[in-house]
This record gives sequence, structure tokens and C-alpha cells, in this order.
Amino acid sequence: MRAAGTFIFEAKMKLPAGSVLYDEHLKLTNKSHIAEFAGYLMPLWFSSISAEHSAVRQQAGIFDCTHMGILETSGKNAEAFLNAITTNDVAALQVGSAQYSYILDAAGNVLDDIIIYRRGNNKFIVVVNAANEPKFNAYLDALLAGQAIVDLSKPRQLEFAKTRDMRDINSGSDCRVDIALQGPESVEVLGKIDRAVSKQAESLKSFTFFETKLVGIDCIISRTGYTGAKIGFEIFVHPESAAKMWNLLIEAGAVPCGLGARDSLRVEAGLPLYGHELDGPFNISPFEAGYGWAVKLTKEFFIGKATAEKTAKSYDMKVARIELPGEKGIRPVRQNDGMLINGIGTGFVLSSATAGNRQIALVYAIKEKIVEGTPVGVYYLARSESQKKMGKKENIDLGEKYDADINGKIVSRFEKF
Amino acid sequence: MVIKGLLYTKEHEWAKVEGDIATIGITDHAQEQLGEVTFVELPAVGREVVQKDEIGVVESTKAASDIFSPITGTVTEVNTKLKTSPEIINDDCYGQGWFCKIRITDKASLKNLLDAAQYEEYLKGL
Repeated sequence: MRAAGTFIFEAKMKLPAGSVLYDEHLKLTNKSHIAEFAGYLMPLWFSSISAEHSAVRQQAGIFDCTHMGILETSGKNAEAFLNAITTNDVAALQVGSAQYSYILDAAGNVLDDIIIYRRGNNKFIVVVNAANEPKFNAYLDALLAGQAIVDLSKPRQLEFAKTRDMRDINSGSDCRVDIALQGPESVEVLGKIDRAVSKQAESLKSFTFFETKLVGIDCIISRTGYTGAKIGFEIFVHPESAAKMWNLLIEAGAVPCGLGARDSLRVEAGLPLYGHELDGPFNISPFEAGYGWAVKLTKEFFIGKATAEKTAKSYDMKVARIELPGEKGIRPVRQNDGMLINGIGTGFVLSSATAGNRQIALVYAIKEKIVEGTPVGVYYLARSESQKKMGKKENIDLGEKYDADINGKIVSRFEKF
Repeated sequence: MVIKGLLYTKEHEWAKVEGDIATIGITDHAQEQLGEVTFVELPAVGREVVQKDEIGVVESTKAASDIFSPITGTVTEVNTKLKTSPEIINDDCYGQGWFCKIRITDKASLKNLLDAAQYEEYLKGL
């Protein structure tokens, strides 16, 4: 049984298409390193995941994020509309600033985590996960048609604002796709292209942006990203300028990186991925993910608020980060493996990655047991028929006893770089 | 890269048959797909295996892949170097990165395997 107000979305099957940078990727890497992700053919890695991971930590890397959904919401109702459909406070968002936020349905389920950029009083960009974009569009359509519940407690009308797909070059003249430049040398990379622009980028505070031109290409440059890098930018350009910008950044010294490093970097940093640390099989809420601050319960209304108010007071599991040995020859931990404290099942692995000589895993664990520095073990679930025959279990239960296969400790929720 | 003279499976293992001993490994295509190999689980020496039995696991930073025996026989030797340096599989999958050796007890099982030309053709169709 799903809770009342749950938005149900059935994804349509579609053939994967190359991102707008697909031809550029084929120049740089073997086709076997390209795989389908959220309906797009995307590079998993160019050289290797570990080399690209360290390039972002030590130099600068670029990522094809042109698959990310980019929507423009504009008009006099834009602020009120976004404020009603997202959890953070859009009214408090200044022009030139960006805000991390959530879209919930009326039942309080997380439909997506997003970033909203305010370009003007009545002009916003909403960046949504590639995998969730079709669902988000269907949700907007359902709200507009009055088919999705807005408020379970009383009838409520939304003030709708015009929303446009900025990646669609037929939607208007100002179109955008996202290329991310991340890592300590990002400013130097920009500086090789345009000194003045790099200076301006360097002065950006986290979650702010400016609009400029780089070698004649219209750009929105924002100090945002998904790698945990202290210095990193997302550069929004017209889809037809994406290949030029991509190559320009590579010529200026940025290392092309694939989805593999994008994932290992975000896991190391502690950043959530929708479907793993948000929503997903455990239906993880923003509070459990560690982002309660992005859900402003003081707002008069937003879709899903009633459930969010209850969740905020009542959750007993939380996302935590653990560190384990990760040298070559050590079996990697994987999603769903069991996290143990004193040999007792205490949580589940949500995501994991190798970062240098250590593995970092994000786990969903009993809230009161999460104390930084606490020794933990991980029980590897059976991954093959022969392991099952040898008695390895296919899932673990909280509170049951298991023998740890590898030992580590709980570390801070986020990594500081 | 496909090496002439070896036998192949559609699961991307190779076998090099010398007398009644077959050396087993994973193909270049398989290691390319896996990416950096970080862990290898080897079979026990002395284990009797039937063709297509699972004989081990190769794990990379992103995926875990079962290794199936291309032939029927008895495991006589395993490449213990892979335990501490699994990346050899990426560097030299047809040479230093061999997986195990199997004494063939059923020669008929060899007939089900692809030769280099057939395997190459199979890869083109993927």
C-alpha cells in the first residue's frame, strides 16, 4: 500500500541516445567504456576511475553533465510556484545565488533533489537529475492538469509559472547544458582561456554564479558541483557550444572524467545520490540523508510539508559515512552489504567507492549508533552461486549476529577537502 | 585484442590448451569492460569442475563478474599473484594475468568453445 498522495510515475522505455558530447567522447575513449545511464550513452571512464578521481582531487577534471535536466521557470508566479513545489525557501534566494532543495509529492516522498538558480526576480533555472527528469515533467503536467494532489488536508490551488526545457534548442534562444569543471586547479584552467573571467570565478562564493562570455560563448558559471571539491564550477552553455567548450577546457588542462569518478568522488565526499541515499528502497527522507536544513518547515506551505513535519520528529535511521581498507586485493564492499557494530547488524551499505587506499561507503544505519570513530564491520552478501552454497547470506537483518569480513570505522558525515 | 590459438567462451574467458592442461583467464574485452580489477577470488586447487561451473569472481571498482570454467576437469594450479596484485589482469590478461590451470578430464567439452575468429566475430555483434 502506498501512502495517500503518492505520485505514481511509469517510465516509458526509450532507446538510449548519445549526449551532445557523444562524438567528442568517442575521440577520447574506447566505445566499451561508454554505457547507458538514464537514457543517455555516457562515458564511464576515459583513462581509469582512480586516475580521474585523483585528477579532480589534485588538479582539475571536467564532466559531461549535459544529460542533467535544465528547466527554466519564469514569469510573475515563478517564485511562488517554485516555493510551493520545493522544500527550501525560494523567497530567500538572491539573484546570482543557487539553492539545494527537494521536490516532494503530497505523501512526502522525495521525487528529486535539485538545485535552483535565481537569474532574475522572475527567472529561475532548475537543475534536476537526468534519471528523474521524465518523472519531474510528468509531475508538473499532473499538477497543471489538477491530477496530482497538492495538499492532502484541504483543496489548494497552485499559482503556475511557465516552465521550459532549456536543453531543447527549439524552446527559445537561451538554451543550456551543464559541463562541470571541478578541482583545485579549476581557476587556473579558466585563466588559460580568459584571465578576467577566471578572476571573477575565483571570487565566487559557494552556491553563487555569474553570467559572462568565454571566447565569445555565453556562459553561466556557478560555484557548484557534485564532487565535494572546494573549488569547482558548473558551466552552462548552449547545447551547440558544448563541444567547443568541452574541448577548450581540455586544451586548458582539465582532465576528462566519466561517470565512474563522478560517483566515487561524490561517495568520498558524502554527497547523496537519488535512489541510493535519497528515496530508493528505504524511502530515505532528506532528514535521514542529513539535509534537514534544506526542508524549511517554517514555510507556510510546500507540497509534502505535513509528512515532512512528522518525519522530522520521528526518524530512527540515518545516512552515515564509513571508512574501510581499500588496497588492491581487498574485496570491495557493495550496495546492500551489512554494516555491523560489535558483530550485530546495524545498517546497510547504500553506495561505496574506492578512494586511494581506502574504501568509503555510505550506509543507512540506526541513528543512535552513529558516532564518529566507532569501529564497524561489513558483512559481504553472497555475490555468486558458489558463495551461497558456502553459506553466505543474500541479505542481513538489523539486530542479528554476523561475522565481519572487513573492519573499519565511522567517519564524519562529509569529507573536508 | 583477441589472440590466435586460444579458445574462447561467450562469457569472455579464454583457455590455452597444452596437452591435457588448460590455462584459463579472462579476455581483453572482459578486462576493458570491468575497468581496474581490485579483487580476485580463485578456486581451490584440487576442485573438480564441470564446464560452465563458476570457478571464481573478478571484481573491479565498479562491477563484480563471475568466472565460469570453459572446460571440464580438475584445478591443478591457481595464480596466487592475483591475490595481492589483481591489476595484472588489466596489464596482461593473456599472459601474467592468467587465472588458473585445469587438467582436462573431458576433452569433448573443448568442442563447445569458440576459436579466435569466431570469438572476434561474436564481439563484433555485441
